[in-house]
Amino acid sequence: MTPERWEQVSRIFKSAIELDVGAREAYLASECGHDELLRKEVSRLIQSHQQASDDNFIETPAFVPSDPGKTLSDGQKVGPYEIVKHLGTGGMGEVYLANDKRLERQVALKILSGELAHDKRRMQRFQQEARMASSLNQPNILTIFEFGEVDSLNFLATEYIDGETLREHLRGKPLKLPEVLDISVQIVAALDAAHEAKVVHRDIKPENVMIRRRDRIVKVLDFGLAKASEKSSVTHETDSQIATQFKTAAGTILGTVNYMSPEQAQGLQVDARTDLWSVGVMIYEMVVGAAPFTGRTTSHTIVQILESDPKPLSSVTNVRVPDELERIVSKALRKPVDERYQTAKDLLVDLRKLRKQLDLDAEMKRSVAPLQSAVTAAAATSTIEAVPTPTASLSPGRNHLLLLVVGAVVFLIAALWAINSWRQKTPNTSTPATTSVASPQRALTYSITVQKYRDNKPFEAPFQLAKEMVFERDYQIRLNLTSPQTGFLYVLNEGPHDNGQPAEFVVLFPSPTSNSGSALVTENHEVQIPDKSWIHFDNEKGTEKVWLVFAENAVPELEPVRSFASQKTAGLITDSALRDKVEAFLRSHPGNKPTVEQDADRKQTVVTSQGNLLMHAVDLEHQ
Amino acid sequence: MTKTLPRTQHEITGLLEEWSGGNQAALDKLYPLVYEELRRLARSYMKREAKGHTLQTTALINEAYVRMVEQKNVHWQNRSHFFAISAQIMRRILVDHARRYLHLKRGGGAKKVSLDEAMIVASEKSEEVLMLDEALENLARLDPRRCQVVELRYFAGLDNKEIAAVLKISENTVMRDWNLARAWLYQQLAGAG
Repeated sequence: MTPERWEQVSRIFKSAIELDVGAREAYLASECGHDELLRKEVSRLIQSHQQASDDNFIETPAFVPSDPGKTLSDGQKVGPYEIVKHLGTGGMGEVYLANDKRLERQVALKILSGELAHDKRRMQRFQQEARMASSLNQPNILTIFEFGEVDSLNFLATEYIDGETLREHLRGKPLKLPEVLDISVQIVAALDAAHEAKVVHRDIKPENVMIRRRDRIVKVLDFGLAKASEKSSVTHETDSQIATQFKTAAGTILGTVNYMSPEQAQGLQVDARTDLWSVGVMIYEMVVGAAPFTGRTTSHTIVQILESDPKPLSSVTNVRVPDELERIVSKALRKPVDERYQTAKDLLVDLRKLRKQLDLDAEMKRSVAPLQSAVTAAAATSTIEAVPTPTASLSPGRNHLLLLVVGAVVFLIAALWAINSWRQKTPNTSTPATTSVASPQRALTYSITVQKYRDNKPFEAPFQLAKEMVFERDYQIRLNLTSPQTGFLYVLNEGPHDNGQPAEFVVLFPSPTSNSGSALVTENHEVQIPDKSWIHFDNEKGTEKVWLVFAENAVPELEPVRSFASQKTAGLITDSALRDKVEAFLRSHPGNKPTVEQDADRKQTVVTSQGNLLMHAVDLEHQ
Repeated sequence: MTKTLPRTQHEITGLLEEWSGGNQAALDKLYPLVYEELRRLARSYMKREAKGHTLQTTALINEAYVRMVEQKNVHWQNRSHFFAISAQIMRRILVDHARRYLHLKRGGGAKKVSLDEAMIVASEKSEEVLMLDEALENLARLDPRRCQVVELRYFAGLDNKEIAAVLKISENTVMRDWNLARAWLYQQLAGAG
C-alpha cells in the first residue's frame, strides 16, 4: 500500500467508525465513489476493528497482570462492605476480610483483578459459575453470598473462614493417616454434593481447600470459578497452548499443573471424574508429603501425568499404608476416566469405610496394647505408627468379640507367614513377613492379558490367560508383571527363528514411556508391557519367547538395550554386536533355574529363583 | 556488550538531552544503559511479585526514570524521550523473553534461561507478543506514529493520557490512532493465521 493510499484509507476509517452502523454505508459510498477497492479495504478494516474490540485484542499490555491502583485500604468501603484487612492474593485477585454492614457479619471479599474484570466474556462466564456455585449448600462448601459490582470493582463476597489452606497446613510434610482420611472425606463429601448439582470444580488443589481453626471443618473454595476466570479455551491446540490453559488467572505465572487430570492436560472435555483424580493426587500428597507428579518443569509434569504411574504409597513413605488406601488412591489415579472412580459417592463410601476400619483398629490397639507387638508384622493395614519391640504376648481374659478379632489377626499372620515361607522356600518361623528376604532370592509374578481378533476386529473382551494357548494371527497380548521386591527388570522378545539363523531381539521393557525409561521397578508396582498398546502377533509362525530378567542390581549386560527401546526402532536391537552379547547372556543362564508355579485361580504365574538374579523365558506359540 | 555501568544520573540526563537535540550517537550510548536497568528492575519486580505485589510496566519505567535521570531541573522533554526509548526497549526485552519462553517450552536450551526471566512475559501472551512484534515491523514502515502508539500502550503499558503527553498529541488522536492501528494489526494477524 502506498503512503497516500494508507492516508486515504485511514481518514475514511476514522470518520466511519464514529458513525452509526446505518449511516456508515452511505458515508463509505460517498467517500469512495467508484473506487470499489477502496471501499472494500475500508470495510474490511472496520470489520477487523469490530472483531478486535470484541476479542479485547491486545487490550491488556504484554506485561501487566493487575492494576495496583485498585488496592483497597483498611476501613475503605465497597458498597455495603467495609474492608477490615488484606488477607492475601488469590488467582482471581486480592482477597480482603470485610464487614457486611447490613448483617454485621464478616465476609471474605474477593476483588477480581484487572484483566479478568475487563474481559466481558470471561466476566459473563464467571458470573454464571458464581450463580451456580452459590446455589450449593453443603457444610464443606464455602458459601457464596454475593457477586456484584461497585465503583467498577467486581467483587465476590463469601463466607469467611478463619483458618489455613491445606497447602499451608501441609508445609511439604505428610499428615497422619486419620487426619488424611478426615480431610479427604470432607472434600469428597463437598464434591459429591456439587456433582449432584452438576457443578464440577475443575481446580481441586490444596490451595482451594481451607481448614477452619476452630473446629477443623474443611471447606472447599471456588467451585467452577478458578477455571471460569481463565481465558476461554482455544479451539486449536498447539503444544504451547495446552499448558497455558491451566493458568489460574489473568497474567499470573503458570499456576500449578500438579493436580490436573490427564484429560485436562490434553485439553479434552472434563467432567466430575476430573475432580476425583485431583482428590487422588491430594490424598497421595497428604500421605507422603509430596505430590505424585512433579517434574522439573511444567511440561515434564504434564508428561508424567499422561504417562507415568505414580510409585505406590508404601514405597515412598516410611509409615505403614493400608492396602485399601493404596487401592483407593490408585483407583482415583487411573488414567483412563472409565477405569477411575465414577462418582464421588463411590469414593466417599470407600474412604468412610476405611476410616471406620482405622478407628476400629486404633480402638483395638488401645484396648489390647500387648497384642500389638504380635500383630505388628501382619497388621500392615491397621497402623501407621512405628513398630514396637516384639516382646509381649497375648494376655488372657479378653472378651469374645476381641478374641474373634484376634483370631482374624492370627489367621492373617498365618496367611502371611505361609506366603512368605512359600516365597522364601526355606521356611523360617522366626522371621515375620517383611519385604527384605534373608537369603537372596527373587520373585516375579506375571499374567497375560489376551485380546482375540476376528476379521481384523477385536473379538470378545480381553481376558487373563489361565493356561497355555496357541495364539492366532492378529491376537494381541499384554504382560502384567509385579514383584514384592524392588529390582531391575528387563523384558525382551525373541522372535521365531530357524536353528542356525540369528534371532531378533526386541526390547519390551524398559521403554522410554513407561517407568521413565528406567529398569528399576519398586516393590508391588505393577508393570504393564507394553504400557499403552499391545504386543501384536504378526505373520511369522513359531514360538515367540519373552525373556524376563529381574535382578537385585542393574544388569550391566542388559543396560545398553535401553537405548534401543525407543519407538523409532520399535525396540528392535539393531546393533549386531549388542544383539550377540544379549543373546550370549540369555543363553548362558547366569541365574539359578527358577521355580515356576501357575496359579490357575488367579490366572497368574509366579516365578521364584535363588540368588540375586531371576531369569525366565515365557514361550508363546502362535500359528 | 562492553561494561559501561554505572553511569551517573548527570551523564544519562546529558545523553537524553543530546539525543533530543538530534544527536543519534547519544541514543546508541543510552540504549544499553536503559536496557540493563530495565532488565534489572524487571527481575527484582518479579521477586516482589512473588510476594503478592503487583507489577506494571509503567511503574517499572517510572522507577528506572527516577533512578537514572536527574530529578532537579527535570525537563518534560527528557521524560517523554525516556519513555519513548523505554517503550522500544521493553518491546525488545519482552519479545526476547517470549521467544525464549516458547523455545524453552518446546524443549530447547532449557538450561540457558533462568526461571524468573522466562516468566517475565505472561506465558499465554508469548505467541501474541511475537506475532504482534512482526506485524508492528510492517506497520512501522507504513505509519511510524501509529506504530509508536501501539508500542507505548502494549509494550510500555502507558494509558492514552500518558501516550498523548509523550507524543504531544491529543488524547482523542491517540484513541483514533489506536483504533486504526489495532484494526490493521488484527487484520494482519487474522490473515496470517
